[in-house]
Amino acid sequence: MRRLLWLSVLAAVAIAYPLLLSSPFQQRLGALVLLYAIAASAWNIVGGYAGQVSVGHVVFFGCGAYAAMGAYAKFELSPLFGIPGGIVIAVVLAAVIGVPTLRLSGHYFSMATIAVAETMRLIVTNTDYLGAAVGLSGPTVARNIFDLSFISSLPYYYLFLLVLAITLVITWWMANSRMGFYLRAIKDSERAARSLGAPARRTKLYAFMLSAALTSVAGALYAMMFGFVDPESGLGILISVKILIMAALGGAGLLFGPLVGAAILVPLEEISNSVLGGKGAGLTFVVYGAIIVLIARFQPGGILSLFKRRSKPASEAGAPHAP
Amino acid sequence: MLLEARGITKAFGSFKAVDDASVTLEQGDILGLIGPNGAGKSTFFNCLTGDLRTTAGRVLFEGRDITDLAPEQRAQLGLARTFQLPQTFEGMTVLENVMIGAFLRAAHRTEAETKARAVLERVGMIRLADAPARSLGTPGRKRLEIARALATEPKVLLLDEAMAGLNAHEVKLAIDLVRDIHRAGITLVIVEHIMEVIMSLASRVMVFHQGKEIARGSPREVTANPAVIAAYLGTRAAKAAAGHTPIELMGGPT
Repeated sequence: MRRLLWLSVLAAVAIAYPLLLSSPFQQRLGALVLLYAIAASAWNIVGGYAGQVSVGHVVFFGCGAYAAMGAYAKFELSPLFGIPGGIVIAVVLAAVIGVPTLRLSGHYFSMATIAVAETMRLIVTNTDYLGAAVGLSGPTVARNIFDLSFISSLPYYYLFLLVLAITLVITWWMANSRMGFYLRAIKDSERAARSLGAPARRTKLYAFMLSAALTSVAGALYAMMFGFVDPESGLGILISVKILIMAALGGAGLLFGPLVGAAILVPLEEISNSVLGGKGAGLTFVVYGAIIVLIARFQPGGILSLFKRRSKPASEAGAPHAP
Repeated sequence: MLLEARGITKAFGSFKAVDDASVTLEQGDILGLIGPNGAGKSTFFNCLTGDLRTTAGRVLFEGRDITDLAPEQRAQLGLARTFQLPQTFEGMTVLENVMIGAFLRAAHRTEAETKARAVLERVGMIRLADAPARSLGTPGRKRLEIARALATEPKVLLLDEAMAGLNAHEVKLAIDLVRDIHRAGITLVIVEHIMEVIMSLASRVMVFHQGKEIARGSPREVTANPAVIAAYLGTRAAKAAAGHTPIELMGGPT
């Protein structure tokens, strides 16, 4: 019941926000928070629940971004038509990347995903069909509403809110299914999970593919809002890092963790950018580094883990077989 | 025949941890695997569960060759195990830990939860259902290992030193639990250091020494076997010990 109440409050705040704080800056900020929350929530499925810390998720983000812009630039279609294509490419790519890399554990998996992401960025930078270093652009002036090219951030805000809601429902459903339980078990002890019948490799791979599909949608939405994609904005490693830090800061493996992380980090970055101007770009990295250190040192479970209902430890509930 | 191992060899480089070991397990058996430290019993055990790939030899379960099956596929067929060092899912509650096992034969959460609660009831941990598993001590973790394995509804349960680290009272309780499991029709393989456990539980014993099987038979037979005493205590001590009851020398009941 209390959970339901909190959910309604959260939903009400999310819906009312751009109407109450209605300056273009605030609306844009809201839309960006939601956009990153979508990406971070998608990452959370494999990075949080399954504990496979991918630093290569920008590859899937790029799939979506390039597919959306490609649909317009190459076929004069609405960028919306690029979304299904982006999802298919991302899922296939996730399978190709996942089969060999998900065998690796811990840091080795993370490093392998970085390598894949950087390789992909270099390939795209040198592919003329994808606009090489210049990238692809979307429609400059909307031909119709399906081009999703708006000057105001308001329509994007509600579009992103809808997609975020869908992403969270999918995540919630997964977390409460056998798959979600298996992922959490694999995170703690893959060997034990397998001994109890959990098909570890297959489960991780499905999670990776689901996560990739949702990340690709985030990438497509990003490109639509900004109207273009280039190797840096669509495949730069910094996007992976941002997504990861947001989820970790809010609480990896918790449903609303990524949203909380995005709601803290995106405003921080936007404000520091507007205060420091172009000079701020380097500082962002410093801030990210500091945040990683702080999370790791003081709250490895993320901010939301502070509020998690504390259940009674076994010692208070009585010994397993009281003598 | 429920479980059969034929000529299992496991080599790490040129070192043969298990050398040509065979065993058969009938429905209702409690097979004890014993031997000094480093004798190869755990390696042999892990070859049965699929955690290690055998270098040579076959493993059969209900007549079917399972040598190349992964641990999760063996679990599906009805083979369950516990770990010597408990592999507790730390981020979960006690109930959720058991649900992971129950999910093998339950597709939905509510069904898995019902099954898991029944198992916790059976092993006497129901009061701890909602406690975080990480708050359990060694006895609780050991028992949770068994509960999780039981939740998979196994035909054969392999216990890897399930009593190690328990005090005398806790060992008694654990023995009772294993007896109870056996009465429910589950066949058991136990690797154990504590002689008392083997003596009171095992129907048959297999003794390992330096990767080889050196004796098999009833617990009393093997503990009277000079080769077994020599393996545990050295040849000279074995000679000196002649005339004493071997069980006594190994710390068993007198």
